Formats: sequence, C-alpha cells, structure tokens
Amino acid sequence: METPSTSSLLRTVEAICFASDEPVSAAALAAHHAEVFGGTATATEVEAAVVELNRRYRAAGHSFRIKSWAEGYRMATIQEMAPVLHAFFQRTDTRRLSRSLMETLAIVAYRQPVTKPEIDHVRGVNSDYALRKLLDADFVTIAGRSDAVGRPLVYGTTDAFLERFGIRSIDDLPKPREIEELLDDPAFNTERASLLSAEGLLGEGLQPDASGDAARQANDSQPATP
Amino acid sequence: MFRVRLNQFEGPLDLLLFFIRRDELDVFNIPIAQITDEYLSYVSVLEQVDLDAAADFIYMASLLISIKAKMLLPRPDLDDQGQEIDPRQELVDRLLAYMRYKEAALHLGTLQEERSRQYVRAAAERARFEDEAVQYRVSLFDLVRVLKDVLAETPDPVRHEVQRYDYSVEDQRVFLLDTVSAGARSFRQIARLGVAGEAVTKAFVIVTFLALLDLVQQRRLRVRLGIAPEDFEVALVSDGEEGTPLPARSAFEG
Repeated sequence: METPSTSSLLRTVEAICFASDEPVSAAALAAHHAEVFGGTATATEVEAAVVELNRRYRAAGHSFRIKSWAEGYRMATIQEMAPVLHAFFQRTDTRRLSRSLMETLAIVAYRQPVTKPEIDHVRGVNSDYALRKLLDADFVTIAGRSDAVGRPLVYGTTDAFLERFGIRSIDDLPKPREIEELLDDPAFNTERASLLSAEGLLGEGLQPDASGDAARQANDSQPATP
Repeated sequence: MFRVRLNQFEGPLDLLLFFIRRDELDVFNIPIAQITDEYLSYVSVLEQVDLDAAADFIYMASLLISIKAKMLLPRPDLDDQGQEIDPRQELVDRLLAYMRYKEAALHLGTLQEERSRQYVRAAAERARFEDEAVQYRVSLFDLVRVLKDVLAETPDPVRHEVQRYDYSVEDQRVFLLDTVSAGARSFRQIARLGVAGEAVTKAFVIVTFLALLDLVQQRRLRVRLGIAPEDFEVALVSDGEEGTPLPARSAFEG
C-alpha cells in the first residue's frame, strides 16, 4: 500500500536525483523532503525509496537507474545504452587511465593517507608525473601531513574519484585478492603466455658482454639497500 | 614533455615479474644469480636508450647484486627468533605487494570502464565548457574577503607574552611555490597545511597571503576565483606565459 507520504518521498528522491549535477546523500534527500513536506523522513526510508524507484524503472524497461556513488545518489543511464550515447556524444567507447596512472591511483586508494616516497617504493619508480596527473584530474588530493619525520604531505582519493569510478564509498573498494589466490589463478599463466608471444621485444637484441659494465656502474652509483 | 614507454615494462619490478612469469619461476625461491644476469643485460641496453628511466632500474640492480653477494657469503641459518634467514625476503615481499596493487589497478580500470558506459545528465554541457576555463580577473577585494574568512577560522590562542614571529615573506614565497608544485591548489588548503612541525597561526596566514600577492605580481603564480565562494585557486604560471612582472600598482586593478 502506498501512502501519500511515501509517494511524496519517492517523487522527491526522483526529482532531486534527476536534476542534481552530483550525488546527493540520503541524509540530504531526507532533509529536503522534510523541509518541504514536513514529517520526518529518515535516511533509511530514502534508501528504501531508491530501491523501489529502481525496481519500477527495471519493471517498466527504462534506460536509467538511480546509482549510489560517492556516498550519494544520482541518476545515470544503464550500461546497455552506452553504444547509443557514445554515438550521440561522439565519444570513442570507454575511457581508462594509463597503466602507470592506474597503478598509482590504486596505491593511493588502498593505502591512503600515503606519502609520495611510499608510493615510489611500492612501484619501484618515481611517481611524480603520475601523481601530478591524478591531482590535475582531481582523483587525488593532499589529505594533510604525516606525523613522520619531516612531516611529509600525504595523499588521498577524492569524492570525484569515487563518482567517476562508480564506487559507493572507500570501504566499498573491491578487496584485493590474497597472494596465494593470485598465484594460482589460471589468468596468471594466460598473461605469461601473452608475454612469451611478445618476447621478441626482449631476448634477441641483448648484449650479454655488456652486463659487466652495468654491474660495475650499478655498484658505483647506488648504495646496496635502502 | 615527451615520454617514451619502453616495451611493457614501466619499472624494475615489472621487469622482474616478467622474468618470473616467463620462466615459471617460484616467487618464493627466486634463482637470484640467473635473474640478476638477465636483469643486468636488459639494463645495459636501457642505459643507452633512456638514462632517466635507467636510474630506477640501476637501483634495483644494486639490490639484486647485494642479495646475490649475501647468498654467496657464509651466514647464520637462523635469526634470533629461530626464523630462517633469506636475503631475498625483502625483494619477495616487495614483488608480492606490487602484484597485489597491479591487480587492484586492473579492477579499478574495469570499474572506470563500466562507469564510463553510464551517462549522467549535464555531461554534454560540462564537456562543452570544460576546455574554456573561465578566467576571472581577481580584485584585491575578493582576495581579502577569502583571507578574512580563513583568518576567522584560524585559532589564535590569547598569549600574554611578546613573541617574535619567524615567518618572512621570502620564506613564505618558497613555501608557496613548493606547496603549489606539490599539487596544492586551494588557498584555504594551503593555509591549513602550514609548515611541517608548527601550528598554523594568524601570522602565518597573513605572511603567506602577502607572499602570494608578491608572487602574483611577479607573475609566478596565478589566482583564479570561482571554485568556491569562500576560496580561490592558486596555480603556477607555466613557462610559456611568463611575461614581464606587472607594475606593482596595477597588479590587482580590474
């Protein structure tokens, strides 16, 4: 049975999610409803309203849903409609960050707050460029300072990151798999096979006699362990 | 900047993982001697191509050689806790941690692709205006309004003693350029970060603000209003647009 008050809540949630430019939190939706219609809608009721609206959209075959991103709700088209919209906006299929950016972003996302030296250590390379790009894209921000010696800046992810990656909250990031699982994965061998087929890139062109020089140089230029 | 990607190897850890996968090596029992030789022969080629990238690789090479040396030297089999000592342990831990983040990066990539297939309203308008960043001429009044807000939020404990402030406009110029280079963009954020090891005081905010005016006048920083009513954006002036410094008087007219 739909009471007048649940129907006004459904319409409020739908209208704001439709009109808003950014995700709106359940608490904000409840507050705006109470502001206009009185009563005391709770965040839980808003969540139930979203579920009900999405159920109706699905049942009626609509091309959009209310999504839960960055701790808020916002309306978006369903993935099945992507080809039409790609065509309309003249966009080439899907977007993905480059591998080095994605790795850096993953480290920031899972280890935040994290310092730049920590990121560099995990990747084994200098991450200046990647970090700058992520700051520019507003996926990463300076989250403050660490208590470590020298109080270095620490980095964390932004709401824009959650929104642009369709993640509800930081706690909802997919759990990284355990190492044993990773090593046993048949995909590990598939990747190995694809690497082997690309092996022309390595292998032949190397000069084994030059390795002595590199070893000497390596010993001269860097201390052995950090 | 022009950047060259070498094959599929971003960094030294990627190269080691490649060897491990290609030769089906056991990650927990890496034949260090063999892998070090292969690694060095790759680095020797890389040095001729890309010296910048080679630095990261040479560091790893030195780590490998040091592990190799430790394996050859006589050493105690067990440590104080009775655990077996393996000089390779640190390297193995790093490789495994890196593998997990690579995997996590793949997951994120999938999420981003799925998200990019779901369109939100206003995407069209945003895309159209994205490129033409609206540039405001900032009036001094606007800047001072933000300064006033930030000051009002900065606690200033009442202290009945004469105190010398150690901030100088020169120091704060360096601080500002460093902080903005490190990626800070909002004045509010910069004022809150402060200098390592010191509480943020009103004197700090004021001197930082003066230094900011100085740098804007020298055309080394640029400010932009409009990100939020109570804040403004600070950015480095890139090399191409460097011009002669504005005459001090006219810096904020308009």
